[in-house]
Amino acid sequence: MTDPLVQKSSESQNYEQLAQEIEALDTYWGPTFRAIIEDGKHEKFLEHLEQRIRSHDRDIEKLCNAHYQGFIDSIRELLHVRSEAQDLKSLIASMDKDLQMELQNVLQRGEEVEKARRVESNIMSTIDQLQVCLPVFRMYHKLQEQLAQKRYYPALKSLEQLEHTYLPQVSRYRFTNHFRESIPKFRKKIQDSSMSELKDFLENVRKYSSRIGEVAMRHTSEQVGLDESITGKRKLVPIGTNNPFLDEYEAQDESTQDDEDGLSAQDLVDFSPLYRCLHIFTVLGDKHTFENYYTKQRKEQSSLVLQPHANMHESIQGYRQYFHAVVGFFVIENHLLYTTNGLVTQAILEELWSSSVPKIASNLRTHASYCTDAELILQIKNVIMLFINTLANYGYNVTQLMSTLQDIREHYTDVLMQRCVHSFREIFDQDNYHPLQVSNDTEYVTVLEVFPYRDAGLERSPYPRRFPFSSMVPKVYEQVKEFVCASLKYTEELNLSQTEVDDMIRKSTNLLLTRTLSGCLTTLIQKPSVGLLELIQITINTNYLELTNAYLEEFISSISGSFVKDVSHKAELQGKSMFKDARAEAEEQIYERLKAKIDDTFELANYDWTLNEPQGRASDYIIDLVEFLQCTFRAFTNLPIKVARTACMAACQHINKKLLYMILEDDDVKQISLGALKQLDLDLIQCEQFATSEPVKGLDPSLLLECFTDVRQLLDLFNQCDFSAYFHDFGERTSKYPRVTPQSAIKLLEKIREADKDKKKILSVLKKDERDKKKLHETILRTLKELPQTSQ
Amino acid sequence: MAKSYDYLFKLLLIGDSGVGKTCLLFRFSEDAFNSTFISTIGIDFKIRTIELDGKKIKLQIWDTAGQERFRTITTAYYRGAMGIMLVYDITNEKTFENIKNWIRNIEEHAAPDVQKMILGNKCDMNDKRVVTKDRGEQLALEYGIRFMETSAKASMNVEESFYILSRDIKAHIDKKMEGKNTSEGRNPPSVIRPTPDGGGGFKGNKPSWFSRCTVL
Repeated sequence: MTDPLVQKSSESQNYEQLAQEIEALDTYWGPTFRAIIEDGKHEKFLEHLEQRIRSHDRDIEKLCNAHYQGFIDSIRELLHVRSEAQDLKSLIASMDKDLQMELQNVLQRGEEVEKARRVESNIMSTIDQLQVCLPVFRMYHKLQEQLAQKRYYPALKSLEQLEHTYLPQVSRYRFTNHFRESIPKFRKKIQDSSMSELKDFLENVRKYSSRIGEVAMRHTSEQVGLDESITGKRKLVPIGTNNPFLDEYEAQDESTQDDEDGLSAQDLVDFSPLYRCLHIFTVLGDKHTFENYYTKQRKEQSSLVLQPHANMHESIQGYRQYFHAVVGFFVIENHLLYTTNGLVTQAILEELWSSSVPKIASNLRTHASYCTDAELILQIKNVIMLFINTLANYGYNVTQLMSTLQDIREHYTDVLMQRCVHSFREIFDQDNYHPLQVSNDTEYVTVLEVFPYRDAGLERSPYPRRFPFSSMVPKVYEQVKEFVCASLKYTEELNLSQTEVDDMIRKSTNLLLTRTLSGCLTTLIQKPSVGLLELIQITINTNYLELTNAYLEEFISSISGSFVKDVSHKAELQGKSMFKDARAEAEEQIYERLKAKIDDTFELANYDWTLNEPQGRASDYIIDLVEFLQCTFRAFTNLPIKVARTACMAACQHINKKLLYMILEDDDVKQISLGALKQLDLDLIQCEQFATSEPVKGLDPSLLLECFTDVRQLLDLFNQCDFSAYFHDFGERTSKYPRVTPQSAIKLLEKIREADKDKKKILSVLKKDERDKKKLHETILRTLKELPQTSQ
Repeated sequence: MAKSYDYLFKLLLIGDSGVGKTCLLFRFSEDAFNSTFISTIGIDFKIRTIELDGKKIKLQIWDTAGQERFRTITTAYYRGAMGIMLVYDITNEKTFENIKNWIRNIEEHAAPDVQKMILGNKCDMNDKRVVTKDRGEQLALEYGIRFMETSAKASMNVEESFYILSRDIKAHIDKKMEGKNTSEGRNPPSVIRPTPDGGGGFKGNKPSWFSRCTVL
């Protein structure tokens, strides 16, 4: 303290410094404090400090005073700021939130973008890869399309390309394995589909083959018609000029019918499936299977086609359908023969045809034989002809079918004959067995038109004119002519020579005459209900029917076109002899009818065989009989005189026989009295009177009388008891009783003895003359028995 | 020849041509029918045996031609007939009217006691009928003879008419025989020819069976 003031100043200065140091320093006050302490003046210093503090407090007070307003203001401002800061803070907070959210989105997008980017790059690479695969898929698609469109052949090509070109390029992909695996499946599928298409085709062909056949047959018929109209001859159409497949086309333009070119089968049937299938199988190397299948199927079809409907015979339509089917079948085969390479070979086809022909022939025969309608048979024949011609045009061998036509012709003739049988019967039934009578020119001409009968006498006679024959003659003649015409119809278009036709017609006409007509006549003649009247008219009619033979000869020659003069007839008509036979039969029946009437009357005979005395006149039944015979011969004025004579003779002979039978053979007649014998004599006289009454003009009475000789001699012998003469002249020419055999004499004598015996019993009287008579009878009997029994 | 029957009756069919005499006979003897008209020439006969009251009766039925040209032949048969069928066609007026002429013929040529019957034939053809049944009955009544409508075609009353006529004949003969038997004491001959006595026969005392049949 050098100066207490100075010192004091210096010391204050020092303390200042230290206070500043303390002030200046927050910590590390140690040195300072040490300095202070060391100086030992720490009181002073504390005082200094107190001073300092006071100065500072004053400063602060002053400062505070000075800055208080400011401070208040500041505080105020601070408060204000604080609130603003608060706002700001919330603003910032919300902004931050918003921002956060936005960012969130952004981040999300970012992620998405990133993903997209990745995808994009993926896509890019995929596209590249797909670009490589695309041809494969295209090919595959094409393949599918082709399959869908059933274009199997291109499909097959595509498949090949796919397999060999495209798939190797993308072989690293797994899907190609699938492809590779499915390729054989596709092949199989194609094969199957094409097979099923083939089946459809086969079915289709079957459906349409009838139509094809129909068209083919129509063409043939048109051609035949055309041919005939041009040449006027029946001639087969040259092979190959007709084409059923061009039906529509040709139908539109007739002039193209002669065109032989442009055979196209596709018009009616689409053959493409077949060709395609064939192609496909060829490509697939399985042609053999295909051919086998096809051949087998067609064979089956052929057998189906060849099997006609069970009711084919019912209508011509049935036959047509059958033929259409058959023709269709073979036309198609024929077509395929030329359009396919070896699918249908000539050999197979020929074999199929030749095995079919017998079936067709037998079917036709069978079914035709069911047919009983001649018109239908004619139609059938025409259809068969057409059928034959059509197939011949296609080069098939038809000889066997031609011979079938011959068989059917026989059946046709049979049917015609059957029809004739009905007609004949009807004609016979409807005839009234009276001479045909016409009352005017028109009627007369109508008859003559049918039956060319010329008679000058009839021509001159006034109306009503009477033909000698009854209505059956012209009707029968007409019927036979119809038969001839119908027979001729069958021969049309058969390509037969006129001689053959003529011969054929003659043969069938002969059959008709000798079998059918003759049979019908015989039946008629032998019908029990047919009376004398009918029989007589029939005998007359047969005379005129005989004439028809010549007419028929002419008629046949005229319609068959062969002339009588240049043909030495192979088959002459046998009508003449047939009608002669029929006449003989009818005449025989007349005699039989008369005999039957005689038999009937004899049934009424009513002899009392023990009669003592005859009644003095003939028996009723004999009177009736004679009267009946007389009436009959008088009434039947049209009975041919020769027949009448024979009939009369036959009647008398029959009466003779009946009487003789009654006397000698009838076992019911055990005894005959002399009285009964006398009655018989009376009856015989009645008959003899009839014989001499000339019942039939020009018949020698002695001839008729002779018919009764047997009975006459027998009765005379017994009634006159002329046995001595009988024995004397026995076996001599001059004998009065040459017709009395010892046997019959014995028989009668025994019956007389029997009657005597009975009489004796009844009378029980034995007169002498009776005894004599008995004795005589015994002698006669003995003598009779000694005679040679066989001699007359 | 042994007797195969108890009676022999001779019947005669007369009437105009086409009335169906032959058909009636054909139906009766053969039970058949033929629609074609075949006119009879001269005369024909058929025999049929029937039984009446246990007796065998042979009917010899004479079928005459209706045509005029055979009149001489046919009238010869009237004499021997024991029963006569007068036939007309119900569809033909003329044939009915002619019945009177035929009856006159009978009166002229046949035995007076001959049994008669009028038959109106073809009664199956009712749609073509021109002669009513009443007229037929009326006519028969006039002459006091039986009447029946028949159809040979439909086989109506044919059998009946022949039976009735036969029964009439038999009754007539039996009655006659009774008379003779009491006076002469002889067995009846098996064949009876009609004799000029007798007259009209028996109008009363008809068995009820007849009356029933006649109305048929």
